[in-house]
This record gives sequence, C-alpha cells and structure tokens, in this order.
Amino acid sequence: MNKRCLLTVLLYWLFGASVQASETIEWWQFWTDPGVKPTIQAMVNEFEQANPDIEVKLTDLTWANGHEKIVISFASGKAPDVLELGSDWIAQFAVHGHLAETTADALKDSADFRGWSMATYQGKVYARPWILGTRVLFANRDLLTKAGYEEDFVPADQQEFKEAAFKIGNLGRNIYGWGSNTAEKHRLYKKFLPFFWTTGAQLFTDDDKYCVLSSKKAADALLLYKELHDSCGYVATQRGIEDAFLDGKIGFILSGDWLLKRIELEKREINLVSTLMPGPRFPGRSFLGGEFLAVTEASTHKAAAAKLIEFITSPENQVRFCKASRSANPSSKTAQEDEYFRSNAHLQTFIKQIAMAKHPPVDPNWVEMETAIEEAVEDALFGSGLIAEPLMKARIKIDKLRRR
Amino acid sequence: MNSPKSTALVLALPWGATLILFWLFPLVYSFVMGFTDYRLLVADYQWVGWSNYRELFLDPDFGAALKNTFVFVIGTIPVTTVVALGLALLVSRGFKGRGIFRAGFFLPSVTSMVVIALIFTNLYQRGGYVAMLAELVGLSPPEYGFLYDQGTALYSIMAMDVWMSVGYYMLIFLAGLKAIPDELYEAAEIAGAGKLRQFGTITLPLLRPVALFIVVINSIKSFQVFVEIFVMTKGKFDTATAVYFIYNEGLATHFRFGYASAAAYVLFIIIAVFSAVQFALLRRREALW
Repeated sequence: MNKRCLLTVLLYWLFGASVQASETIEWWQFWTDPGVKPTIQAMVNEFEQANPDIEVKLTDLTWANGHEKIVISFASGKAPDVLELGSDWIAQFAVHGHLAETTADALKDSADFRGWSMATYQGKVYARPWILGTRVLFANRDLLTKAGYEEDFVPADQQEFKEAAFKIGNLGRNIYGWGSNTAEKHRLYKKFLPFFWTTGAQLFTDDDKYCVLSSKKAADALLLYKELHDSCGYVATQRGIEDAFLDGKIGFILSGDWLLKRIELEKREINLVSTLMPGPRFPGRSFLGGEFLAVTEASTHKAAAAKLIEFITSPENQVRFCKASRSANPSSKTAQEDEYFRSNAHLQTFIKQIAMAKHPPVDPNWVEMETAIEEAVEDALFGSGLIAEPLMKARIKIDKLRRR
Repeated sequence: MNSPKSTALVLALPWGATLILFWLFPLVYSFVMGFTDYRLLVADYQWVGWSNYRELFLDPDFGAALKNTFVFVIGTIPVTTVVALGLALLVSRGFKGRGIFRAGFFLPSVTSMVVIALIFTNLYQRGGYVAMLAELVGLSPPEYGFLYDQGTALYSIMAMDVWMSVGYYMLIFLAGLKAIPDELYEAAEIAGAGKLRQFGTITLPLLRPVALFIVVINSIKSFQVFVEIFVMTKGKFDTATAVYFIYNEGLATHFRFGYASAAAYVLFIIIAVFSAVQFALLRRREALW
C-alpha cells in the first residue's frame, strides 16, 4: 500500500508538475462589476490557454481603497506583477521607481493607441493605455423644446450653451439648467477643467516653471462655471445630479459614458442629446483620463507580465471589454473604428470628444494639485464667492507643492 | 514549570505579546518616525530632527485642523455632559415606560457611526428635514445644505455627535445616580432641604467622579474625531480636524508618514495636557466639597 502511494506521488511529481505553469504572475485590477468580471476572467483564461507556461492570479481592488493597497504593496515590497492604474497615479509611482519602464514597447504601438502622454513621465513611458474616459455634454431634449428650441438644436458655442441653460432654469420650480457638482473630492476638478481648458487657460507657463492658475482666462472660466452654478445650478453629488437629470429636472449635465449604461440598465425614458463640450468657438476641450496597465519594477516575471498586458489591450479584447462594461472607451484607434462604436451616436460623441480632450499634467504631486484646484472652485461656489482670490491661493499652493 | 508563577506567565503571554507587538512597538516606532522624512512610497529616508514639528507649527492646514478640533471639543463636551445628566435624572425617576426611553436614548450609541453619519448627511441636505424645521421656526437654512456652508458644517456635525453620545453617558450617569444611598436624600428631606438643594449638595458632589470620568473620556474621544468628518464632509468647508489632517497627510494624499507621526504626537501631547488639567481642576473642586 505504502509502495503504491509512493509511486503515485512520484508519478505526479514527474508528470503532473510538468504540465503546471512555470510562471505565475499576479494582476491587480478594479473591475469587480458582475457584468464585467466574467469577461476579464475569460480573457485571462484565453491568455493562459495560449500561454500554458504562464498562470495569472487575479486580485480585485475597489476604488475606495485600491490606491492605498497599491501604495502599501510598494512600501512592503510585495507589489504584484501587473497593475491597473488610474492615469493620475502613474507619475506618483514612476517617480519613486516602482514601475518598469516600457518605452520600447510604447513606441512599437504608438500609432494605434491614444493616451501615451498620460503614461509618460520625464520622457519615459511607464504604462500601456487600456481604456479612456472623458466627459461630454448631455442635454434633455424635452426641456430644450419646452424652452423654445428647435428639434435639432445643440449649443454651437459657449454662449448658446449658457443661454439655453438659463432658459431651461427659468422654466419653473424644480427645473434647473445645469447640474453643478458639490465639493466632491476627485470629481469637482474634472467638471471645472473642461471649462478651464476650453477658455484657453493653462495650468503652467509654457516653460513649465510656474503655475498660472490665476490668469485672466482661468478667472473667466471660473466665472462662467459660477454663473451657471448660481443662476440655474442643481447642486448635488455626481450621483444626485444624474438622478435628477434622468428624472427630467436638469437641462444640461457634464458626464461620462456610465450614464448611457445606467439609462440602459434602468430602462429610463429620457430624450437624450449628447454633444461635445461647447467652447467659445465650437467645440471645446474636455477632461481626459483613463485606465492603464503597468508592469511593476519589482516583478520578476516582466516578460510574461508584458505579454499579458499586450493581450488584454489588443484591439479585439478592448472592444470585447468595452462591450461588456458599457462604460469605457478603447484606447486603440482600431478598436474605436469597430461597428459597436460606429453604430451608436452617443458612443461616437465620446470617441470624438476623446480626440479633443486634454489630460491633467503628469506630475507626482497631481493629486495634491487637484485638491488645491477643487478648493478654489469650492471657495468661489460655496465660500467667499470670490473668483480671483481663491485662484491666487491655489496657484501659490501649487507652486509650493512643485518646489517641495 | 508547573508553578503558579510560570502558569501566570504563560497565560499572560498572548496578551503581553499583543501589547508589545501592536501597541508599544508602533507607539515607539511612530515617535521615532516623527523625526524622519519617511514617505510610504520612498524606500530610503533621512533623519530630519525637529524639522517635521517646525513645519507643523507653520502649516496653516494643521493650524486650522487644531482650531476645528478645539471648537469640536469645547463645543460638544459641556453640552453632552449636561444633556446626559439631565436625561439620566429624567429616566431615573419611576414612571411607566421609562425602559423604552432609556433604550431609545441609548440606541444611537450602539449604532454604527457610519450609518448615523449617512442618515444625518441626508437630514442636513438642501430641502432636508433639518432645513424644513429651520424654515418652520423662521430661520433661513444655508442655500446648499448645512454641510455645504462653512458657517454651519462643523456645528452640524457637532450637534449630531452630541445626539449620538448622550445616551451612552446618560447610562454612566444613571449608574452613578443609583450608587448614591437613598438615606442621604431621606436625611436631607428631614432636615428640610428642597429638591434643588438636594441636587446641589448631594447629587452633584457625589456624581463628581462619574462626571470626571465622562468629561475625560469624552474629551479624548472628541479630540480623535474622524469618522463623522470623513463620511460627511471629507474635511471640506472648514471641518478638517487633527485626526483627519493626520489621515490626509499619512494615508490619503501625501503618504508622509514621518510628518503625520509628528502631528499625531502633537495631538497626543495636547490630549495628555488637556486630560491632566481636567483631572486637576475637577479633583481640586472635589476636595473642596
């Protein structure tokens, strides 16, 4: 009996072990939605089948504490091989040498992918663009009609947009022209920056030495934002604004593609218009962000990790993933040309806006800078009501941060 | 090996190890860290001496956080203590259904702070029940809600904290009231003392140790206020407190563990001094009585 057992163990050790993967890579990712996770898992399974020597261990993170977990993993030297990163985090991790440089790989695919600049810090690329996100202007057609606009009206410029928002705001009690965000961390600046960039304002001087947040153009942008907020703004959290918009109480909101998914899932009946961010001369610039996949410097399986990233971000898999998530845009231009995006007018608006969107500076201190910008906007909207002074304070704070 | 001493040692070992590993070691380690520029993402760090402490005293955000913390402590402690005592006196009387009142007042203390904070966030919002109540009594509520106004945000959180805490301290006062011998009140009545005089000369002096305990415990808790701020305002609208500042510096945004540790020790010293002063004042008055 004992001899038989010994033989079984020996045979397993000799043959069973040989069919096991020789490399195990760990991938930390944020897609836990039951509608999306199976697609992630299916892609991983396909990758493993195509690469029998590589096993992928998936770990789910949440947006509530994922960043902290990643930071702690770096600090403790136990970082995974592959990380999904928000575009704002790349410089913060790259500056301390936690991400592997992938410049050569980036150049190989540079023509087909948008968003490389968000992953480039001091001339080196540290991550591969996976999916991109922007904000477009959504409008309620029924409210526009009630306000006296033609069936095919979309605001051609900033002035028309402002007038339409004011008109809708005057339609009556509980009807608002514009959805204005409350002091929500990491959200408010994404609403203000499209106005800021659209008016031609810049965060830094051309030589990148000083912050110019308190410029005349920046003040104009904040003034316009404040006018909308004060005159016809429905002030709530992003979720609250979207609720009210879908209930037919708001004329215009700036939102992402998750709103389309929500309308579809909740079977909301809204006469929806999506259009590009209106500028002084149509169209304007919007906020650009995205999800990136990076290999960590601590990884001992960099080649396998890069292989996984290449597989996940392939145009076909991007389309497949975007179809499953219904709230993401591919970074690959080939994927953007897929019938799925071409046949949907709202998705087309997002694809067009991405081409004209701008991302925040790739700076290790960006998260702190965005806080300074949000504080200035909050002060103008909810505090002192002033424009120039809060911007000046934020400018000083940002310059101080960059000198640190 | 089987001696009572060694048995005691073995039994105390798990607790002792936990104390050393998870309490004493972090305490000493964070104190040392306060003199370094240690950041979570940076592998190496330097000894910077008192530099973190100097920076703290010049940091306007830390100054604002300390100011808010003191406003919170000074604003909530007296109100909580007085209301808790008042409720304890009320429910200590023999009346029908007092158990329901006791349970009702105590219930918020055993409810999750996050749940309470979320409920109050809704109550305080624009057009919420608190705004409606304010309008009913002729007051004009803040335009965007109580938590979106620098003049009301912190005070709204303080009011919620008082509402949440009074039940727990009421129960402690109630235990203190039960411990006062009835004979003292009977003797006072025979001597012709009225209810108010009995309260001033018997109840209050004999409740002083309980009050001291409540004030000190509540002060320490209030100096460490965090969850309410985190859930309700994220430190916005001038509501950031000292612990929120430490969290923000150490864990949320900057990951400056050295700097955050120094701030934590400043708060620790403030709490220690404040508690010592409270002990000294209340004990001295106790001696006078």
